[in-house]
Amino acid sequence: MTTLLAGLSVVLLGGLAAVILARWPRWAASVHRIATGAGALVALVSPLKVLGGAHLPTLTLPTNVPGGAWTFGLDALSAWFLIPVLLAGTAAAIFGTSYLAGQEEEGSVPRAHLGMAVLLVALGLVLTAQATLAFLASWEVMALAGYFLVVFEDRRPEVRRAGMVYLIATHAGTLLLVVVFGLWGNRAFDLSFASLAHAAPALGSLHAVLLTLGLLGFGLKAGFVPLHFWLPEAHAAAPSHVSAIMSGVVIKTGIYGVLRLLVLLGAPPPWWSFGVLLLGVCSGVLGVLWALAQHDLKRLLAYHSVENIGIILLGLGAGALGLSYRSPLLAVLGFLGAVLHVLNHALFKSLLFLQAGSVLRATGSRELEHLGGLGRRMPLTWLGFVVGSAAIVGLPPLNGFVSEWVVFQALFSAGSSRTPASLALFGAAALGLVGGLALACFAKVCGSVFLGHPRTPAALAAREVGPGFWGPAAVLAAACLVVGVMPWLAIGPAVRVAGQLAGVPWARAAALTRPARDAAQQIALLAALLAGTVAVLAMARTWALRRAGAVATSETWACGYPRTSARMQYSASSFAAPLVALFGPLAGVVVHRRADGFATHPVNLALERILVPLWEATQRASARIRPIQHGRLQLYLLYIVATVALLLFYLAASGGKP
Amino acid sequence: MTSWLCFGLALVLAPLLPGVAQRTKSWLTGRRGPPVLQLYWDLARLWRKGAVFSSVAGASFRLGPVVFAASGVAAAMLLPFANNPALIRFPGDFVAFAGVLALGRFALVLAALDTGSSFEGMGASREAAFGSLSEPVLVLCFAALALASQELSLSGMLGPALPSWWAAGPALAMVGAGVFLVTLAETGRVPVDDPATHLELTMIHEVMVLDHSGPDFALIHYAAALKLTLLGTLLAGVLVPAGQAAAVVRIAGWLGGLLALAVAIGVVESVMARLRLARVPQLLTSAAVLPGFAIILLLSRAA
Repeated sequence: MTTLLAGLSVVLLGGLAAVILARWPRWAASVHRIATGAGALVALVSPLKVLGGAHLPTLTLPTNVPGGAWTFGLDALSAWFLIPVLLAGTAAAIFGTSYLAGQEEEGSVPRAHLGMAVLLVALGLVLTAQATLAFLASWEVMALAGYFLVVFEDRRPEVRRAGMVYLIATHAGTLLLVVVFGLWGNRAFDLSFASLAHAAPALGSLHAVLLTLGLLGFGLKAGFVPLHFWLPEAHAAAPSHVSAIMSGVVIKTGIYGVLRLLVLLGAPPPWWSFGVLLLGVCSGVLGVLWALAQHDLKRLLAYHSVENIGIILLGLGAGALGLSYRSPLLAVLGFLGAVLHVLNHALFKSLLFLQAGSVLRATGSRELEHLGGLGRRMPLTWLGFVVGSAAIVGLPPLNGFVSEWVVFQALFSAGSSRTPASLALFGAAALGLVGGLALACFAKVCGSVFLGHPRTPAALAAREVGPGFWGPAAVLAAACLVVGVMPWLAIGPAVRVAGQLAGVPWARAAALTRPARDAAQQIALLAALLAGTVAVLAMARTWALRRAGAVATSETWACGYPRTSARMQYSASSFAAPLVALFGPLAGVVVHRRADGFATHPVNLALERILVPLWEATQRASARIRPIQHGRLQLYLLYIVATVALLLFYLAASGGKP
Repeated sequence: MTSWLCFGLALVLAPLLPGVAQRTKSWLTGRRGPPVLQLYWDLARLWRKGAVFSSVAGASFRLGPVVFAASGVAAAMLLPFANNPALIRFPGDFVAFAGVLALGRFALVLAALDTGSSFEGMGASREAAFGSLSEPVLVLCFAALALASQELSLSGMLGPALPSWWAAGPALAMVGAGVFLVTLAETGRVPVDDPATHLELTMIHEVMVLDHSGPDFALIHYAAALKLTLLGTLLAGVLVPAGQAAAVVRIAGWLGGLLALAVAIGVVESVMARLRLARVPQLLTSAAVLPGFAIILLLSRAA
C-alpha cells in the first residue's frame, strides 16, 4: 500500500512540477512525462503483488469526520482495476505531453498536465478506498478532474456544452451514491466498508433497493444504455489522450463500483441479475449500432465504449446469475469474462483513441468523410489502429477475443445449468451480433480513414507523427498482442479476482477455471499456427509472382471508366447504409438522400430526444412558480416564519413525535 | 492420425465442391457445364500468372488474400472432420472458429477498401452487413448443439455426445437448416449472392475481389471453396448420424454429406433466383429463428 501511495505521490508531484515550470513548456512536459512513467512503474508493484496472492497491510487514517476512520487497502478486485489505470492511464498521460505540445492557444497546457496527474491519483484512491467518505471524496475529485480535462478547449461552445452535460450526469450519479450509502449506513455501525458488509445480511428488502440504486448511480459513470447520453459528447470533445483515459479507464470505475457493491452486499436477487444481462444486451447492440451511424472518429470510438460496457455487463450479469442461483462455476466464469474485458477494453480503447489523436494532429480533422489513404502516409499509426481494431472486434489472436471467448463460455454454461439462468444463453446471440456489427463498423473506419484515396488536401499532406505519439501507442498495442497470444498471463490473476467476486476460495476458483486455463495454451498454439500459415502463404505468393515475372501497376479497375477520383470512393455513410437502414428508427439517423448525394446525420437519441425535451418541460413547469421569488427580504422572512409555524403546527398535531 | 488425414482431405478436396454444385446446376438446366475439376485448373492457371496492382492499393490489398486463406486453414484445424477430434480443441473453440472466419472476412473487406473503388466498397459493405447478421445465427446453432450435447468444444458437440436423431430430431433438423442458410449466405450462393452474375451492381463477394488477379485471386478462390467445405463439414456433423462407426464409414458419411450439400446448392441455384438485397436480412433473421426454437425445445426438454 505504501509503495502504491509513494508511486502516486510521484505522479502528483510531476503534475505540480508541470505547473511550476509552466514558463519552460519543454521542461514541464519532460518532468511530467518522466514522473508519471516512473511513479506508475513504482505503483504497479503493489497490485501485482496482490494479484500474485500476497496480502498487503491496509492504511488507516484516523479522522474526526463522522463515518469512521478512512481506510485504504488493496484486495484482488482493487488491484485488478489498478492495472489498467497504471498501464493505459499512464500511456495516455505520456502521449498527452506530446499531444498538447504547442497547444497553448487552445487552453492551459500545464493545468491539463496537473489535471491528468490528479485524475490518476484520484483513480488510485477510488479503487483502494475502503470507507464511504474516502471513496466518495476521491470519486468527486476524479469526476472534477475529468471535467476540467474535458473542457480543455473551452473556447468552443460544443465543448462547453459537452462538459456541462458530463458534469450534470456525474453529479446525478454521485447523488444516487450518497443516497445508497446513506440508507445503508443508517443500519450499520459506521460508514467503513467492513461495517457496511457486516450490516448487509440484515438489510431485508433494502438489499434490492440498494443494489438497484447503486447500479443506476454507478451506471451513470459506466455509461451503459440508457445512461450513456453524456459519454459520446464528453469523450468526443476532450483532447484525445483525455478521451483515451476517460473511455478506457475512468468509465471502468462504474463497473468497479457495481462489483464492489456485489462483494459487500452479497448475492443479488435473480431479477437484478437478469436486468444487468438485459442492460448488457441493449448497451452492446445499440452502442455498436449507434457507432455505425457516426462519422466523427472520436464520437464513433466513444459509442464503442458503450458497446464494450455492454459486453462487460453480459459477463457481469452471467456472474450475478451464478450468485443468484448458487452456481459457482457460472459465477466464476461470468466474472472472469467481465474483469478480463475490463482490462482488454482499457488496452485497445486507449490505443484507438491515441491513434485517433495522431490522425487529428496530422490532418486536423476527425471527420471520416474528410480522411482517407492515411495508411501509406502514417504506416505506424495505421499499424497501431489496425491492431486495436482487430482487438475490439474480437478477432484472434488479439486480447479482445480472449475475453469474449470467456464471456461466451459463461453464457453457454448458464445455458446448461438447468436453472432459469439458462435463458442467458440468448445473450450469446446478442454477443455474436455485436461482434459482427463491430467488424462492419471498424471495416468502415479503417477503410475510410486509412485506405483508398485521400479525400481532402489535408489528408493528402498528412505525415507520420513522432515517437512521442506512437511510442505510448506501441506499448498498448504490444500489450494487446501479448494478452491475445499468451492469455494465461491475464487469466491467471483474473481468476483470483473472479473467485473473490464469486465468493469462493482461490483454490476452488482455480479448479473451476482449469479448462479455460488449459485452453489458453491451445489459443497460443492457434495464434502461432495462424501466424505461420500467413508467413508461408505470403512467401509462396511472393515466389509465385516473382516466377511469373509479370507484375504491372495500373489504376483501380472501375469497369472501364477511365477517370476515377477520390470523391467516387464509397463513403463511410454509404458503407454503413445497409445496416443503418435495416435497424430503422432504432439507429437514430437522419438520412438525406438526394440525386447528387447521400448523407446520414446521427442523433444522440437519449440526450436529444428524451433528456433535453424533459429538461425543457421541467423548466416550463418551474416557470409557473417563479412569481413567488421577488428578491425582497421581507417576503423571504415571511416565508421562513410561515414554514417554521407550519412545522410547529405539525409537531403539535402529531403529539410531539416527529 | 485420422484427424490429420481428414484435415488433409478437406484441404485437397475443397475445390471440388463448387465444381459439383456447378455441374448439378448445368445438368438440371439442360446444359453440359464445365468439368467437375475446373476449379483446380483455374487455380493452377491463376497461380502461374502475373498480377496487376492498382496504384492506390498498398499492403492491405496484398495481405488480404493471404490472411483470408490462412484463416480458412486455421479454421480447418479447429473443426472435427468425420467425428474425429479436431487438431486444436478446447472448451469454447467454436468462438475461435467463428472468430477466425471473421478475421478472414475483415482482411478481405480491408483489401477491397484499399483499392478506393466504389464497386469494391459496395461489395465490402454488403459482405460486412450480411456477415454481421449471419454471425448470431452461427452462435445460436452452436448454442443449440452445446445444449444438446452438454459439451463446450466443437469436437465434443459434433462427437458421440450429440444425441441421436431419435432423441433430438426436430432440434437437430432446425439447427441443420440454420447452418445450411448460413452456409449459403457466407459462401456467396443463391439466394443471397449469385456467383455466376456479371452485373457488378448486384454482386457481393465477386465484386469485392474485382481488382485481385494472379496468385492473390487464386488464394481467394481457394479460400472461398475451403470455407464452403468447412461450413459443409459442420452441416454434415449435425445431420449425418455417424456416431461410433468405424473410421472409414465415418469418413464416407462425411464426404457423402459434403457431396450432398454441393448437389443441394446446385439444386437451389437452379430452382430459385437471387433475393433482392433488402430481403437478405429477412432470410438471415428467419435463419436465426430456427436454432432459437431448437434452443427453446432443448431447454424445455431439460427442465
